[in-house]
Amino acid sequence: MRRFFAGLRDGVGFDILLVGFAMLFLLAMAGLPLIYNVLMSFQQVDMFTLGVLLRPLVGFQNYVDVVRQPEFWLVTRNTVVFVFFSMAGQFTIGFALALFFAQKFPGAATIRGLFLVSWVMPGLVVGAIWSWILAGDFGVLNAILKSLGIINSGIFWKSDPAFSLWAVIIANIWLGLAFNMLLLSVGLAGISRDLYEAAELDGANAFQRFWTITLPMMRSTIGAVLSLGLIGTLQQFDLFPAITEGGPANTSTVAQYWSWQMSFQLYDFAKGATISVMMLVLVLIASIIYVRSTRHEVRG
Amino acid sequence: MNRSFVPWLLLVLALALAAVYLFPLYWMYVTSLKSGSEIFANPPTFWPREPATGIYPEVWTRRTMPVYLWNSTVIAAGVTAITVLFGTGCAYVLARYRNAWVDIGLFAILMLQVLPASVMVTPLFVAFNQFGLLNYPRTAVVLAAAAKAMPFFVVLVRATFMTVPRELEEAALVDGNSRVGAFFSIVLPLARNGILVCAILTFMSAFGEYIYSKSIITSPSLQPASVGLSGFLGPNSTDWNAIMAYSAIYVTPILAVFVLLQRRIVSGLTSGALK
Repeated sequence: MRRFFAGLRDGVGFDILLVGFAMLFLLAMAGLPLIYNVLMSFQQVDMFTLGVLLRPLVGFQNYVDVVRQPEFWLVTRNTVVFVFFSMAGQFTIGFALALFFAQKFPGAATIRGLFLVSWVMPGLVVGAIWSWILAGDFGVLNAILKSLGIINSGIFWKSDPAFSLWAVIIANIWLGLAFNMLLLSVGLAGISRDLYEAAELDGANAFQRFWTITLPMMRSTIGAVLSLGLIGTLQQFDLFPAITEGGPANTSTVAQYWSWQMSFQLYDFAKGATISVMMLVLVLIASIIYVRSTRHEVRG
Repeated sequence: MNRSFVPWLLLVLALALAAVYLFPLYWMYVTSLKSGSEIFANPPTFWPREPATGIYPEVWTRRTMPVYLWNSTVIAAGVTAITVLFGTGCAYVLARYRNAWVDIGLFAILMLQVLPASVMVTPLFVAFNQFGLLNYPRTAVVLAAAAKAMPFFVVLVRATFMTVPRELEEAALVDGNSRVGAFFSIVLPLARNGILVCAILTFMSAFGEYIYSKSIITSPSLQPASVGLSGFLGPNSTDWNAIMAYSAIYVTPILAVFVLLQRRIVSGLTSGALK
C-alpha cells in the first residue's frame, strides 16, 4: 500500500493519475455518448421509451426512414455545397492574405492579428451581424452592390431559395478565413528564405517560385488546414439559427442543423441520432487526414 | 531608390484589407447608435445622423441582459475550471513521453476534438434525461461544453509543455524533488503563460456557447446570453438597432480582452495548432 502511494507521488502513478482524470471525464462525456448515439440509431426512440436504456431494436429502419425523407437529397446536396464552397472561400482568400502578410512592411504582424477577432466572437453574434448586413430590403450589402452597379434590384439573400444557403456560406467564409490565414502564415514562415534567393538567382519568376517552392513545401500544412477546415465547417451550427433557420423550405438546411431539428424541434431522437451517425463517417475521414498530417513533430 | 515606397504602399493596402474585413464589426456598432427610423434609410447612412446611445440601457433592462450575462459567465467559468483542472495534467503527461500509449491517447483526443457539438447533443440530452441531470441544466451544459473544449485545450497546452526543456525537470529530480514537487515548482511555473492564454481562449469560446444551452436549458432565468439573443433574432427580425446593441454589449468585453492579449493569443495558437 505504501509503495502504491509512493508511486502516486513519485513515479509513473503520478502520470497515470493526471491522465486518468481527463481520460475518464472525456470517456464519460464524449466516448460513451458517441457509442450511445450509434446504439440509438438502431433503436425505436419516442416519448415513451425516452427514459429507458434498452428500447426495441429496429435494425436499419431508422436509416431507411432518414433516406426516404423527402428533404434527404436536398440536405445532402446543401451539405456538400456548404462544405465545399466554405472551404474553398476560406482557403483561397486565407492563402492570398497569408502570402500578402508574409511580405515585409511595418505593422504586418499587428494588422494580421486584427483579422483574428472574428475567431473569438460568439457564432450567434456573427450570425446576427451578417443577418443584418444581408437583409434583403435595408441590408448594407445590397446597397453597396447597387451603388457599384453590380446588381439592379436588391437580392433577398435570406428568403430567396436560390441564395439562402449562400448567405450562410458568405458569413462562414468571413468567420473561418482568419484561422486559415493564421495557420497558413505559420507554414509560410517555416520555409527557408535561402530557397527563394537561390531560385531568384536562377531566374525563376514569382509565379514559378510559388509553384515550385511554396506549394511543395507547404504540403503538410495545406493538408492540416484543409482537414481542419472540413472539420470546422461540419461543426458550424450557430450561423444557421441566426441567419436563415434552415429556410425557406429547407433550402439552407445542412446535415448538422437537420439532425438538431429532428431531435429538438420534432422530438424524433432516433432520426436525429441516425443523421449524426451518418455525419460522423465524414468527420472520421477528415480527422484521419488531420492526424496523419500532424505526425511530423519534434520535441522543441 | 523607389523600392523604399513599396513597404508603405503595402501598409496602406493592408489597412484597406483590414478595414474591409472589420466592416461587419463597425456596422454592428454604427447600427446600434442609429434611431429606429434611420436604420431603414435608403441608401443606408454610413455614419449615424444623430448618434444616440439610448438603446443600450433600454435593451439592457428590457432583455434582462444582467441575468443572461451572469449565466454566460457562470457557464464559461465552470467550463474553464474543469478544462484547466483536468486538461493541464493530461497535456503534461502527453508531452512528457513518446510511446505507443501516448500516441493512442493523442489519437483519441484528436478524434474527440473533431466531433461536432450538433452530433453530440442528441445522445447527451437523452443520457442526461435518464440520469436526471436535466434538473440541473447549467451543470449539464458545463459538463457537455467542457468535454467539447478540453481536447483543443490539451492539444494547445501540450505544445506549451513541449517547449519546457526536459533537462530542467530532470535537474529538479536529481536535486531530490519528487515528481509532484518538480511538476508544481518547475514545470507548471514555466508553462504558466501558455496555460493562461489557453484558459482565456477556452473561457471566451464557452462565453459564446450556444447549441448545448439552447437544447438543454429551458428556463429563461438560467439561459446564457447567446440563447437570449436567439430569442429575438430570426429571418424576419426588424428591430436591428436593438439586436446590434445587444450584440455589442455581449461581444465588447471579449473584443477588449482579445485586443489586449492579441500578441499572446496569436503566438499561443500558432505554436500549438500546427506544430
